Amino acid sequence: MSKDGSVGYVTTRLDDFINWGRKHSIWPLPFGTSCCGIEMMASLAADYDMSRFGAEVIRFSPRQSDLLIVAGIINLKMAPVLKTVYDQMSDPKYVMSFGACASSGGIFNVYSVLQGIDTMIPVDVYIPGCPPSPEGVIHGLMRLQELITQGQTHSQRRLAQAKQG
Amino acid sequence: MTESKEARRSQIDLPSGYQVEHDPDDLWGDSRVIVNIGPTHPAMHGALRMVAKLNGETIEKSYCEFGFTHRAKEKLGENRTFHNFTVYTDRLNYCSALINNVTYAMSVEKLMGVEVPERCVWIRMICCELARVMDHLICVGINAVDLGAFSFFLYGFHQREEAYTLVEKLCGARLTTSFTRIGGLMGDAPDGFEKELKAWVEKTRKVIDEMDELLTNNKIWKKRTVGVGVFSKQDCMDYSFSGPNARAAGIDLDLRRDQPCMFYKNVEFDVPVAQNGDVFDRYMVRINEIRQSLNILSQCADKMKKGPIWSEDKRVRIPEKTVVHNTMEGLIHHFKFFMTGFEVPAGEAYTQFEAANGELGFYIVSKGATRAHRMRIRGPSVWHFQALSPMVEGEKIADMVAALGSINIIAGELDR
Amino acid sequence: MDIRHPIPTNGGEWVTQFGEIWRGQVADLKKTFDGAIEEVKMPQADATDVPIIYVKRDRLVEVLKFLKETDGFEYGFLADITATDESSELRFEVVYQLFSQSKLCRIRVKVRVPEGVSVPSAVSVWKGADWAEREVYDMYGVQFEGHPNLRRILMDERWVGHPLRKDYPIKGYQIFTDPQAVDPERLK
Repeated sequence: MSKDGSVGYVTTRLDDFINWGRKHSIWPLPFGTSCCGIEMMASLAADYDMSRFGAEVIRFSPRQSDLLIVAGIINLKMAPVLKTVYDQMSDPKYVMSFGACASSGGIFNVYSVLQGIDTMIPVDVYIPGCPPSPEGVIHGLMRLQELITQGQTHSQRRLAQAKQG
Repeated sequence: MTESKEARRSQIDLPSGYQVEHDPDDLWGDSRVIVNIGPTHPAMHGALRMVAKLNGETIEKSYCEFGFTHRAKEKLGENRTFHNFTVYTDRLNYCSALINNVTYAMSVEKLMGVEVPERCVWIRMICCELARVMDHLICVGINAVDLGAFSFFLYGFHQREEAYTLVEKLCGARLTTSFTRIGGLMGDAPDGFEKELKAWVEKTRKVIDEMDELLTNNKIWKKRTVGVGVFSKQDCMDYSFSGPNARAAGIDLDLRRDQPCMFYKNVEFDVPVAQNGDVFDRYMVRINEIRQSLNILSQCADKMKKGPIWSEDKRVRIPEKTVVHNTMEGLIHHFKFFMTGFEVPAGEAYTQFEAANGELGFYIVSKGATRAHRMRIRGPSVWHFQALSPMVEGEKIADMVAALGSINIIAGELDR
Repeated sequence: MDIRHPIPTNGGEWVTQFGEIWRGQVADLKKTFDGAIEEVKMPQADATDVPIIYVKRDRLVEVLKFLKETDGFEYGFLADITATDESSELRFEVVYQLFSQSKLCRIRVKVRVPEGVSVPSAVSVWKGADWAEREVYDMYGVQFEGHPNLRRILMDERWVGHPLRKDYPIKGYQIFTDPQAVDPERLK
C-alpha cells in the first residue's frame, strides 16, 4: 500500500499479507517487574503513545497476547514464572527484552539474578538502556515490526520449519 | 439418589495451583477457595504475590510473598566501593530515585564528616521535593487506574513527563539519575533552572487542582475508597508505618520537620495529617503533600544562590578534568579514585530521611576500608507490605486492590 | 574528620540536642538491668551516631519492652532489625534500630550471638518485627526463638545457604525450574 492509501498491487503471497496484518496488530503483555516497568508505562501513556504503532491493546493474560515485553529484572525466583507465562502464549509469539537487566543481568551480576532472559526463552528484540528511553522502546517496536514483516522472528521461523516438515 | 461426596468432588476438574475446600452439597453457600494472585497479576504492581483464602468474595485469611525482584543490593554494597554504590541506590525506589541518591550521599558524608557547600544542599533539596512530587503523582495515578479512573492517571503522568524534562536538564537521565556524588553533585544546575522550575511549579499547582476536582468528590471514587483498607493509629505504630501512610492514620510525624537535615529548617511547609487511615485519607494526604512540596520547591528556587557545589574535602573530591588530562599526577589520582576508591573511617551510622514512602534509612558499618562492612537499606515498603494481610482481612477482594495501591509498594525498595 | 565530628546539615545536631537525654537513659538502663548490659558506646567518644547498647541475649526482650514502654524512654517505633557478620567467635550481631516518636531521638540495641544459637524474638513487643526477623534468618541464618513463622522471605524456600554471610560467594546462583508452590498450611 502506498502512502496515500491507494492499493498499488495486490499481495500475491498470502504469508506476506498475514505478516503485514500481524505487524499492525501487536497485543503486548507487559511483564514489568521493576524500574523498566515505569518507563514502559511512560511509553504507553499519553506523551509517547505506543498505540500509534498498533501495539495498543494491553493484555495481561498470556493467552490473549502475542508480544511479551519483559521489562525489568528477572531473578531466579521469578524465572520459572516467566517461563510459564511464555509457554502459555500461543504462536506466533514475540519477545522483547526491555533494558539491560532483562538482556544480560545488567549491573547486577549477583547470586539472585538471572543473567539474561535469553538463557531461558528466545528473544527477538533487545532494547539497551537502564532503563531505555521511550524513544528507544518505540524504535525497538518498529524493529520488531520489520522482523515480523520478513518472517524472521524466532516463533515465525519455527512455524515455517514445522510447515516444511 | 445422591452420589457420594468423594465421587462428586472428583468430578470437579481444576487447574493445578487452585484448591477447593468447599462442601459439594453446599456449592453456593459456604464455599472457600484458595486463590493465588500474582506475581505477574496487573493488580499486584509488578512482582508481589498474595495467596488468599476466599469465602465468596471476602478474604478470610491471606499471606503475602515477595522477593521476586531481589537484586542483592546489600551484598553489592559490601563488594563495591562507596562511590560505585551510588548507581545501585537509584534502583531502590525507582519512582523517586533522586531521594535515594541524596540519602545515600548524606549517609556516607555523615560517616566521613564531610560538609557540602550551600548551593549543593539547596539543589539536593530541590531534587528531593521534585522526586517526592513525581512519586506521589505515580502513586495516586496508579491507585486510580486500579479502580478504573484512567484519565486521572494520564493527567498525572503528563505532568510527570514535564518533571522528567527538568530532571533531564539537571543530570541527563530520566528515571535512574545517579545525580549525587559523595561530597557534591554530578554537575551544577544549568542557567535559568530556577526560572523553569518555578514555571513548572505554577503549572503543576493548576494540574493538581484539576486532578483534585476530577477525582476527589467523584461518587464512585468515594464509594471505593472511604472506609476501605482501614489501618488504625495503634496498628500503624505496631507495624512501624511511616510517611504518608502513617500520617493518614493520625501519626503527626514528618522527619523533614522533626529531625531536620539539610535546610528544611529554613523553609516553611505544613505537614498534612488525616485521621481515618483508609484509602481515601492516604490519597488526600498525598495530594496535599504534593502541594506542600511545590511550596518548598518555589522557596528553594528563591533562596538558591550561585556558588560552588563541591565539598572542599580532598578525600572525596573527584579530580578536575583539566588536571586529569594535562598532568601525570592528576591522571594517577583519577585512576586511584575510581579504581580503589576512598577510605571511609571506621564507624557506623544510621541515616534516615523522609522519602516519598516513609522513613528511608541507610545503616552503614565501615571498618576503615574502601568498601562497606555492612550496607543495610531500610526501605519503608517492607513494613507497609507486611501490613497488607492484616489490613484486608475480612474485606472484599476488590478492596484489596485499592488498599495495595494506596500504600504504594515499590518492588525495588521492597526486595532490594 | 569522621562521624565523631557531626556536621549540622547532615542532621548532626543530635549530639547537642539529645546528649543529656541519652546519658540519663543509659544510666537508668544500667541501674535497672544490672548485669544485662554488656557494653555501651556513646557518640563522640566512639565512632557512632547514636548510643549503642549491647545486651545479653537472654534478657533482650525484657530490655526492648522496657525501652518501648517506660516513661522517659518511649522508643515506640521499631525502625529496623538487621544483623552483621563479624568474623569473630561471636559471629553475628543482631541490630535493633529504635526511634522515639515523642522525644525524637534514636538508640541502637545490639545482641552478639555465636553461630547456631538463637535469639529471642521481638514479635511479642512489636508485631512488625515478624518480617524483619525472617529476613535476618533468611540472609544470615540466625534463628529466632518464639517466632510464629520463621521461614525464608526474600529467597526461594528451596535455597541452600544464607547469602549475606561473608563466606557466601557473590555469584552463588541456585536455579529452580518450577515456581514456589502455594502452601495451604499457612492459610489455616
